[in-house]
This record gives sequence, structure tokens and C-alpha cells, in this order.
Amino acid sequence: MFCLTMYVMLQTLDDHKPTWQDRLGTPGMMIRPRGDTMEINTHNTESWDMYTKTLDNFLSPYNNSLQAEKNDECTPDQYFIQGDIGDVKNNLKRSCQFNRSLLQECSGLDDHTYGYQTGKPCIIIKLNRVIGMLPGKDGQAPFVTCGAKKEDSDKIGEVAYYPENGTFNLMYYPYYGKKAQVNYSQPLVAIKFLNITLNEDINIECRIISNNIPSGSERDKFAGKVSFKLRINTKH
Amino acid sequence: MRYTTSVTKGLTSSKAEEVLERDGPNELLPPKGTPEYVKFARQLAGGLQCLMWVAAVICFIAFGIEFSRGTLGCFDDLYLAITLITVVVVTGCFGYYQEFKSTNIIASFKNLVPQQALVIRDGQKNQINAMDLVVGDLVEIKGGDRVPADIRIIFAQGCKVDNSSLTGESEPQSKTPECTHENPLETKNIAFFSTTCLEGVATGTVINTGDRTIIGRIASLASGVGNEKTPIAIEIEHFVDIIAGLAIFFGFTFFVVAMFIGYAFLEAMIFFMAIVVAYVPEGLLATVTVCLSLTAKRLARKNCVVKNLEAVETLGSTSVICSDKTGTLTQNRMTVAHLWFDNVIHAADTTEDQSGQSFDQSSETWRSLARVAGLCNRAIFKPNQESLIVVGDASETALLKFTELAIGNMMEYRERFKKVVEVPFNSTNKFQLSVHELEDPMDLRYLLVMKGAPERILERCSTILIKGQEMPLDEQWRESFQTAYMDLGSLGERVLGFCHIYLNENEFPRGYKFDSDEMNFTTSGLCFAGLISMIDPPRATVPDAVMKCRTAGIRVVMVTGDHPITARAIAANVGIITEGSETVEDIATRKRIPVEQVNRRDARACVISGGQLKDMSSEELDEALRSHPEMVFARTSPQQKLIIVESCQRLGSIVAVTGDGVNDSPALKKADIGIAMGIAGSDAAKNAADMILLDDNFASIVTGVEQGRLIFDNLKKSIAYTLTKNIPELTPYLIYITVSVPLPLGCITILMIELATDIFPSVSLAYEKAESDIMHLKPRNPRKDRLVNESLAAYSYFQIGAIQSFAGFTDYFTAMAQEGWYPLLCVGLRSHWEDVHLQDLQDSYGQEWWVSVIEICQIADVLIRKTRRLSIFQQGFFRSVDVDSMEQMSLTPYIQSYTPCYVSFMKGWGQWWFVPIPYGILIFVYDEIRKLGVRRHPGSWWDQELYY
Repeated sequence: MFCLTMYVMLQTLDDHKPTWQDRLGTPGMMIRPRGDTMEINTHNTESWDMYTKTLDNFLSPYNNSLQAEKNDECTPDQYFIQGDIGDVKNNLKRSCQFNRSLLQECSGLDDHTYGYQTGKPCIIIKLNRVIGMLPGKDGQAPFVTCGAKKEDSDKIGEVAYYPENGTFNLMYYPYYGKKAQVNYSQPLVAIKFLNITLNEDINIECRIISNNIPSGSERDKFAGKVSFKLRINTKH
Repeated sequence: MRYTTSVTKGLTSSKAEEVLERDGPNELLPPKGTPEYVKFARQLAGGLQCLMWVAAVICFIAFGIEFSRGTLGCFDDLYLAITLITVVVVTGCFGYYQEFKSTNIIASFKNLVPQQALVIRDGQKNQINAMDLVVGDLVEIKGGDRVPADIRIIFAQGCKVDNSSLTGESEPQSKTPECTHENPLETKNIAFFSTTCLEGVATGTVINTGDRTIIGRIASLASGVGNEKTPIAIEIEHFVDIIAGLAIFFGFTFFVVAMFIGYAFLEAMIFFMAIVVAYVPEGLLATVTVCLSLTAKRLARKNCVVKNLEAVETLGSTSVICSDKTGTLTQNRMTVAHLWFDNVIHAADTTEDQSGQSFDQSSETWRSLARVAGLCNRAIFKPNQESLIVVGDASETALLKFTELAIGNMMEYRERFKKVVEVPFNSTNKFQLSVHELEDPMDLRYLLVMKGAPERILERCSTILIKGQEMPLDEQWRESFQTAYMDLGSLGERVLGFCHIYLNENEFPRGYKFDSDEMNFTTSGLCFAGLISMIDPPRATVPDAVMKCRTAGIRVVMVTGDHPITARAIAANVGIITEGSETVEDIATRKRIPVEQVNRRDARACVISGGQLKDMSSEELDEALRSHPEMVFARTSPQQKLIIVESCQRLGSIVAVTGDGVNDSPALKKADIGIAMGIAGSDAAKNAADMILLDDNFASIVTGVEQGRLIFDNLKKSIAYTLTKNIPELTPYLIYITVSVPLPLGCITILMIELATDIFPSVSLAYEKAESDIMHLKPRNPRKDRLVNESLAAYSYFQIGAIQSFAGFTDYFTAMAQEGWYPLLCVGLRSHWEDVHLQDLQDSYGQEWWVSVIEICQIADVLIRKTRRLSIFQQGFFRSVDVDSMEQMSLTPYIQSYTPCYVSFMKGWGQWWFVPIPYGILIFVYDEIRKLGVRRHPGSWWDQELYY
């Protein structure tokens, strides 16, 4: 009985799109390197070595050469919609290039330490993938903005966003699922703290701003935002 | 002078004060009330309550461990503990309130008017508070007074007291100065505290006061008797044992499994505790309390007040009712039952409301007999009270009421026959006579009327009235008189003879001076009119109720303080001794053999008097109770009533005792359930009882039995329901530990299901109507028919519970899969799922999830309502609309209670409600097949294994 009902149930599932997505109205965000506290010492290579390694790993699929090989160049600022052709399901969807070089200072191409050595660290932010999501209407792309929590607001200093303004370009949406869109390159935003106060804990929160993503309620810590603690030590 | 008192002057005031100082006031100390906080604490310490306390403590420990480890992700354990405690306290308050309320009802019965006593001190008569009486005081009592203490009579004139509340005798006892018996209860020269003096006057010395009086001793005997545990309490303890055993078994098994899989010791320990807690049926306590209260309320509407909630069920499992006679089975008032005139025995109407058939009243003899009965009678209606209150001796009252009904206004009737002289009844001549003028002013004869003990009356008669004609009283008439007298006597009735004579006009002209002491007038050669017999008749509803008890397999045993013959007659009348049943003595007379030769087993019925009982060992009593299905105990003392109850309990019966008098109170207390009469009952009886019949109606007991059985059945269904639900609640946790799927059902969710959504179906089972055969089954055997037995546990756990678990998991996996998590992905997902740092967990579609959103921990709970034996179809699937909405809820055959983790997510989540429907149908069909099997093949393997 159990097997039978399970079987029947599994038959009803669509391979490419889940039946319900009501839980995912507000997507979550995540930073790379992972973690909610980062403490690095500019003089101690070991304290940030693993972070740079993580970022190297994480960014390797975004290498320009790899992107050029697998993905298309798309028209920016508009959704890359690939509908089905009649009854035939268009099951292999193409994806747009997201070149590592777009992250400029934070691409790790020029500065292999991603600024960790100089006390100007890069953090990479990504928006969780949700099938079929079309963020930002009327051609206004969603963007990331970071700020410090209240008491730390004057300590955060200047923050640089790459690509410019911290936007996720519309051409990377919608996402068609890992089966249909095998080579999907999730768009990223990198932030770089240019003159953050040193030797102090600073609480930072980044959120997604978009005119069609409801901002998550205050209660939910992870809806449409990500927060972490950063401390950069310069003393031995 | 034992009491340093004077027979004429009484005590001196100073001496009285001294004794008062020594002995304390003359009042019964109220039975030591349990302090209120103890009563409340008792409500918190039942079997289920203890289980909940343990669970709460475990939760606190688990919380403490998590707290100290700093992994304080959720406060679930703390909430759980708090909720558990709240449930216990709230239901405790509920039970306490119920007890408090019924105690108040009883308290309101108490008579608060201080009693007065007429005492002679320093040679002066004083009216003082009965409280201040001391031993040695000389007191006077008169008709209508309550006897203020135990008194030894030193002077009496026609004094009669009503001992019914003390000994159960319905006839008034005359009191005289002679000591007639060694036993204080039997002797004639002692009047007892709290009995009522009906008529006459008496003077006596106080020999006992306060708690040292006979009644005080009985009261303290009652308070010395321990209260038995109610059967439902035993059942619930048994249930708790099972639950606790299973919980620990499961907990330990999975503790070992968890250790084996490789969890840390502390983690495994928390799993262990969580399983134990998950096993506790949180909602059950509330359900039981609510079910019992509902029934108590229903009973209250039928005039049964329940003092102790658990007593509601006790009545249902009762297998023996020991009933007092006077006031419980009978009306406790003498009534004319039979008349013998014209050589025929006529039956009078003995119903409470005079609705019965009357006899033929056309005979001339009847008119003469009625005239004698009406005139030779000192009882009067209290003026200005209409015909409601009668002052006088019980049998005269009975005669007065009888003639009032038969003839009409008796007071006026007596006016017409002016009374000239009167000789009151006394124990030496055993008759009472009066001489009257005739109604017709032209007729100058006097009429002498006489009544008394039949044989004495017959001695004085030479003629007999037959159809209005005076016939000579020859041997033949004497014989028929004897037969009639014996017949009436054997019915346990008190028989009086009546005769009259018209006095010779010449010998006794108008103005003749009749002298009551000299008796200077004809007192022999009279004309016999007839016999009238009286009895304290059974209540109209009793025979039917006894019959119902019998069909319900309940044995009714009469235990009374009254005489064996009367007891037997009433027993036969109400059906306690059925028609055709014989006692050993009956068989002996029928077969004309000595009593010793009769095989005791042949006799269905048995009457045992207190005297015989005294000589019996407890084994002999047990044997007697076992071999004779119909038992009557007569002339029993309070102590003996207690022995009888104990004997029944030894034989494994659940015993109910009904009674009203002080003499019943020890037995009421000892019984599994004591039932006191609300109107006739004494305070002592009400205090000792668990239940009070406000309308004194024995038939209410039958209702009580039915309700009690119903609640047992319904509780059984409730528990089956609760147990069933336990498995689908527990399995997610077990799967969570072993297969590491994301936790499908959090403990807060479980609490919500238990206390919020499931209480209603559980409670609605209490509204379930009786399955039709409930009153035709034998009372349950407390050793075999447990509330929870193996087959119930096995059926609900491993059959229905298993199906429900599968249903739940189907629903769980469906929900997960439809949201994007394929079943195979779920397996082993637990650690990632619970990782707070992992906010981009990938599902089967490549979507990324953040934590709180993915706590879509929901499971559908498929619920089923069941009847034990009758199919839902037989019960009437769509039973009438008039049943409460509660009932409607339970009628929705499968309630799919679907509760997501947080209520705020409720909206729009209905789609998964329908997933388990195939399982619902499966359970329904499965259960119906089971019931069909049970009905078709009673007694078979199927029945034994699957009927619970």
C-alpha cells in the first residue's frame, strides 16, 4: 500500500518544476566564504588562507574561458526566456555567461588574496536559486546592498560592489532547474570593504532589494538577507 | 449513684460545669476534614498525573543538558515541560472544583439550628443548649423532640422513639425504664442521641455525650474505614504501567540503536528522553477528566450528585449492590397494606401517590371496620396544615391516612362521634379502646371501639361481622381468622385486630360516668370487625430497578437492621428474592424434613440474621454469599454491614452500598461506591458516600450504572484513539533518528495535535451513545476486562497505528517531493537540514533553500472513530442532526488533522489533506472487517484477539 501510494505520488511529479513553491516567495542569500563569523589577521596567512582557497574553488567554474566554452552571450537587462516549442518540451536550456572578470577587484585574477592580506577583504554574495523566479520587474534589476548593524554603522567604511551597484543582471533569470539547465551560472555580487575599522567586531547585513521580492519579515533571519560578523586584526 | 446525680433534682450547676470541663461539649466532632491543600494535591497525584510529572522533569533535564552545551537552538523542551505542567494543574483544578461543588451541595443539607434540651439541674427545669449537656444530667423528652444524648430512661409514659436512622427499624420502639436486654441497642431503657421521640414523655439520665454516644461511635467507625481505590484509578494505573513500560522499552531500544549508528552518548540520551516524552499521551488526562465531568453533569441532571469524579465509572463496574431497606427500597412510612374482613384478604393501595387499585368497599363490614379504625385512633392532622402533617404513632398515622382516603374528612367524622372516654394502648393489655356517642342524636346508645393485638382482640369477641351480619364466633371462624392472621404475618406486616360493640342503652345511659382506670364497662363479648395490616411498602420504582439490575448481571443484596420476616417480605416484594426461590427453611417445610438435611445448594435464597451472622466465620459468610444468589441480611449492626461488604469484596466483586442511616455510614465508606439518599439520608451517610441520590430513587442507580458502563466503553474508545495516534506521532521520530530524514513532526506540533486538535474528537467519544446491549451484559470482571488490554494495545499500536504511520509518511514524502525534495534525497539529509550555516541547501531540482523556510515539518494525522463492536453502519452513520456539533465532528469519519509547524503557515496548505484518504478508506474497511468478524464468530480466535 505504502509503495503503491508512493509510486503513484512520484508519477505525478514533474521532472523539471516542483508542484509547489509557496515556501520560496522570498529567496535566501548566502555568502562565500561561508560562515557567520570571519576573523582574519592580515599578518597571519593561515587565518585567511582557507578563505581564499574556498573562493578560488568557488569561482573556478566562472573562469572566462570555461564560460565562453559552455554558455552563451546573452542580451543584458532582459529575461532570457526559453519557452517550449509547441508540445515539444524544450528540455535543454542554454545559460548565459557570467564571467569571473565581472567581479573585477574581487575576481581573484589580479589579487590572489582577494584583499585579505591588505585588510580589504572581498565577500561574494549569491541569491538562492528558485526555479522560474523573475526578480525585478519593469527592467529594474535586483541589487544587493550591505550595511552595518546600528552601533557599527560608522565603522564599516566604504564598500565597493562588483558588478557595478551590486546588481544581478536580468539575463540570468529565470532558472529552469538543474535538469534542464545543466550549465546554469548563478550570478554573483562581490563586495569589498575598502576602509573597514580594524581590530573590532563589525556586524554586517546584506539584503536584496527588488521591486517584486517581498522583504522577509524581521523574524526570519534569512529571508532575502544574510548577515555575518567580520573582524580584521592587524596586530600580531 | 454512679453519676452523682439525683433522680429528682438532677446535677448541681457547679458539678455540671465541672463535668462539661472534663468531657467537652455534647456534640459530634465533624469527621476530620481533609485540608483543602491536601485535597488539591491529591488531584495532582493520580497515575496519569505522575506520568506527566515525570515527563516534565525529563524535559527539564533535556533542556538543562542542551542549555549547558550551549546548543540552544530551540526552547521546545522548555515549552513542552511547561505545557505538561499546565495540563496537570488545569485538570487538577477541574477535578478539585467538581469535588468542591458537590461538597457544597452536601454542606447545604446541614441543619444549623441549635438544638435545645429540657434539663433539670438544682431541682429546676431549664431549657439549655443540647451542646452543654453532661453525663448525669436529668433530661425530659416529649413527643417531637430529638433525643439530645444517650439517655437511660428512669420514667416513661407511652414513650416511643424512631430508631430508623440508627438501626434501620422502621417501626417505632417503645421505651420503658426496665432493662430488657444486655445489648444497649436492644434494651428498652436506653434512648439514643439523634433519634426522635415520636410520642409520650420520658425522663432519664444522660449516660453518654458527644462522640462517646452510640451514634458517635458509629461515626468514628466510619471515619476509621479506609477508602478503597476506585476501579478506574486502578485501571488508569494499569494503563500507566503499560505506557511507561513500552516507553522505556522503545526508548532504550532506540538508545542502543542510536549508539550503534554512531551518535554521541549525550545525543542518544536526548533521543531516549524525547521518545519517552513522545510516548506520554498528553491529551489523555484532559480527555478522561472531561469525559468524567460530562457524565457527572449528565447524572446530576438525573438527580445523582457525584462527589468524586472517578465514582462515575465505579457504578458501571459494580457487580453487587448492598442495599439498605428502610428509606431506600421502602418509603419509610407505615401504610395500610391489607385488610381482612368478610373472610377475604383485601389488598390496599400502597403506592406513594395513591394511584393504585382500590378494593371493593361496598360491604357493610368494611364500613364498621373503617369506623373503628377511624375512631379508635389518637393521631390527628396538624391543624391549618391541610392533610399534610400527621402527629401520632406510625401505625395510627397509617390508619388515619387510610381512613381519610377511604371515608373522607376524618376530623369532621370524629366530631360527629363525640369521644366519651379513651384507654390508651399499653403493653400489658395490648389494646386501645374508646367510647363514642353515636352520630344519630336519636340513638342514645354508646359505641365502644377497640383495636389491638389480634389474638387479644379475638379473646374478647363472641361474634364476628360477616357481610354486615353478626355471626357467632365459632371454631370455623376462629380457624379462618388464624389463617388470615398467619398469612398477613408471613408477609412481614404488622397486623392489628378491630372490634366494636353497641353498649346497652339501659345499662349505660347518657351521662354514665365511664372511668378509664376502672374500666367500668363491657370489654368482652364484643363483635369482631376485621384485621388491618400495615407495612412500610416498597417504592414503586424499586421492583423494576431491581429487575434491570438483574438483567445487567448485578446482584442486589439486602442488608437491613429490620426483622428477618419483614426484610424477607420486602425482598420478595421488590424482587430481590424472586418468585419460586426458596430458602433452606422453605425447603425443609415443603419436604417436611429437618433443616439440617436440606442440601444448602438447592436453596437460591437465604435470609441471615445478625444473630446468625455473629456466629459465622468469614469463610462461612463467603461460602454463603457464593452459594446463594439471593441474599437478605436482617438485624445487622453497622459493624456487620461492614463485614458483609468486605466479604463481597473478597469474592472479587465491586460493591455499591446504598443507605441513608448513620448505621450505614461505615459500610458506605468501605464500599467501592457508597450511595446515600439525599432527602432521607443523615449527614453521616452523606459524608461517607461517594454519590448522593437527590430524589432518593433507587431507580436512579440503574441510570448511574448505565452511564458508568457507557463511560467505561467510551473511555476505552478514547484511549484506543489516543494510543493509535501515539504511533504515528512516534514513528517520525524513530525514522528521524535511524534514517536521518528531516524531522517530520516536532514536539510542539505533537503538543498541538494532542491538546488542540485531538481533544475534540477524543471528548466527542464521550458523547457517544450506548451500544444497545450495554445493559444486558454482565458487569466487567475487574481482573480480566481491563481498560487497556493487550489486544487493544496491539490492535491500535501495530495495526491501525501502523497504517496511520504509513499514511502519515506518504503524506510527508508527498509534501516534501512536491516542494522539491525527493524521498531518496531526504534520507540522510538531517545533518545538512539542521545546519544553521547552510542557507543554500539544494533540493532535487537544484533550488536553494534557507533554513526556517524548509522546516515544512508536517504530517497528516489520519484519525478514525470506532465503536467496539457495532459497526458504524449499525450505529447509524448519519445520526440525527440534533446531536451536538461535537458529535458532528466525530462523525466526519476521518478527520485529517494536519498541523504544520507554525500555525501561520496554515493557509493554503489544504492540498495535502487529501493524500491520506486511501489509507482512511483502508482503515475503515479494515475496522469494519474486524467488527464483522467479532460479531459473526463470538468466542473464536478472532474475537479473542481482536475484540477489546
